Amino acid sequence: MVENHRWLDVLAHLTLILGVVIVAFPVYIAVVASTHEPADFVSGLIPLLPGDNAVATYASVLEGGVSSQMSVPILTMLKNSLIMAVLIAVGKIVISVLSAYAIVYFRFPFRQLAFWMIFVTLMLPVEVRIVPTFQVVADLGMLNSYAGLTIPLIASATATFLFRQVFLTIPDELMEAARIDGAGPMKFFRDILLPLSRTNIAALFVILFIYGWNQYLWPILITTDAGFYTIVAGIKRMADVVDSEPLWNYIMATAVLAMLPPVIVVIAMQRLFVKGLVETEK
Amino acid sequence: MAAITIENVGKTYAGGVPAVQGIDLNIRDGEFVVLVGPSGCGKSTLLRMIAGLEEITEGTVRIGDRVVNRLEPAERDIAMVFQNYALYPHMTVRQNLSYGLKNRGTPRDEIVRRVDEAARILEIGAYLDRKPRALSGGQRQRVAMGRAIVREPSAFLFDEPLSNLDAKLRVTMRGEIRTLQRRLGTTSVYVTHDQLEAMTMADRLVVLRQGRIEQVGTPLDVYRNPVSTFVAQFIGSPSMNLMSGTVRAGEVRVADAVYPAPGVPDGAVTVGLRPEDFALVPGGARAGMPARLVNIEELGSQRLGYFRVGGETVVASFPAGQVLSTEMTLYPDLSRLHLFGADERRIDPAPLRAGAV
Repeated sequence: MVENHRWLDVLAHLTLILGVVIVAFPVYIAVVASTHEPADFVSGLIPLLPGDNAVATYASVLEGGVSSQMSVPILTMLKNSLIMAVLIAVGKIVISVLSAYAIVYFRFPFRQLAFWMIFVTLMLPVEVRIVPTFQVVADLGMLNSYAGLTIPLIASATATFLFRQVFLTIPDELMEAARIDGAGPMKFFRDILLPLSRTNIAALFVILFIYGWNQYLWPILITTDAGFYTIVAGIKRMADVVDSEPLWNYIMATAVLAMLPPVIVVIAMQRLFVKGLVETEK
Repeated sequence: MAAITIENVGKTYAGGVPAVQGIDLNIRDGEFVVLVGPSGCGKSTLLRMIAGLEEITEGTVRIGDRVVNRLEPAERDIAMVFQNYALYPHMTVRQNLSYGLKNRGTPRDEIVRRVDEAARILEIGAYLDRKPRALSGGQRQRVAMGRAIVREPSAFLFDEPLSNLDAKLRVTMRGEIRTLQRRLGTTSVYVTHDQLEAMTMADRLVVLRQGRIEQVGTPLDVYRNPVSTFVAQFIGSPSMNLMSGTVRAGEVRVADAVYPAPGVPDGAVTVGLRPEDFALVPGGARAGMPARLVNIEELGSQRLGYFRVGGETVVASFPAGQVLSTEMTLYPDLSRLHLFGADERRIDPAPLRAGAV
């Protein structure tokens, strides 16, 4: 802000507070709902203050005691989600960092073509190609497996593009110095490039972990075996009951629990994350 | 320690643009050779071909008695100092120095010995455990030098290593590099666009122009006997005055004055005179050029007078305190008069040749 008027400060804060309220209110309602009796939420008057049923709700959700609506224990779903999110994040990073390395540092035929083909796939998210992808995964017998859950989501144009930009900021002289120092291509990659993109990798890991964690459509499609349900898809299944009212307090409690791992990842990696997004000096 | 022999080397980039052509150069063992020229003259390309960072399109480069055309940079037994230092930012100074040795499989205690030795020579012992970003420009430059020294290579290659330093530090560092090189006796090739750096550091200067060697020689030789107007103007600061003149019957007429030019064919010539080769009093049979003072630049140790002489601007340098007036006569030192033909090449008048060398 150029000027320093008091009312401008107040206005700025009001705007920000309003934004926070808009973003945080649904989360708050979810937390509140998870502390009430199931019926309270559908009575027509949504309670705005926490109820007194919190302990009971969370205890039974964690024990998997709500047999009528939750065929799968929540811990299994959390585990599946965790495996899926980590595999997707790590897989995306490994593949994209390698392909970006190839595109930036190696002169091979059709290099530009390869780059643009990767770039074009940006325009084809999973949802657009979901039917053929499902067909391929089904033909390969990867339904109801971690491979089926993760592999189709791993190839990543965005991450490749990001690493390409990171590598382009690394001066050529560094590569030449490494060549004179006797570092071959893989050694240069491991000793110089990877350490230099450490913060970017961390930032990307956070983003991709959340991306993987929040996957919804794909897990619903390809998992029919309850042992492979992920938490986000599980919440949807919980709400999908035919012969009774959805137990909103349990659903919301599950949603709140589903939020925790991404929050933990963000908090744990916050320092690196911010550094990776703002740092420019190489 | 090794000589570097460059034979008919050329570089053509994709698209057929020749960057460097027909370079022949013998760099003797232990010699400090400076490649100098304006940007785009191919000096860096030539250096990078010696280093192995740029492919050699034609000709051969020998380091010692090995043809290195096809060798990887690491196998050529050279070390290079880059303009932006190219230190590995995530490694400490010590790791930077030892990285190349480690890759080469040097024994650990030998690495420690060499790093300590280099740190002692360059006085960087205090920063060995710092990262490059915590160092000043001059310190980074020393570390870059250190990385070259620990290799104990047969040749150092410098690619404008001082351009990123401020003027004062540049003067100090160029002295240090030269002292260090003399002490180690390592053959060195140094690229710069700064003619002063080139003059002060070189055993031999190689002036490049548009990918070709224009002149090779000791700094004084190049300064005193530039082979072309290009070299004449490029080497020396302020640069040589070039005036148009005409030769007729063994005499050159320039700015209303006539000077002997025996043996020079008739026609238009360019007359070159360095700023320090003017006097304000006639000596011998010299004719003067009428000059009008336009501007004075004070350098402290001397003053530069800018004159209009026969429609051209001429710079002349005088000792500090020399009184200059608006209308004066400049008397050139005839033994330092340079003549260049229409092809911009030097013409040596017969009797003056002895005096000019």
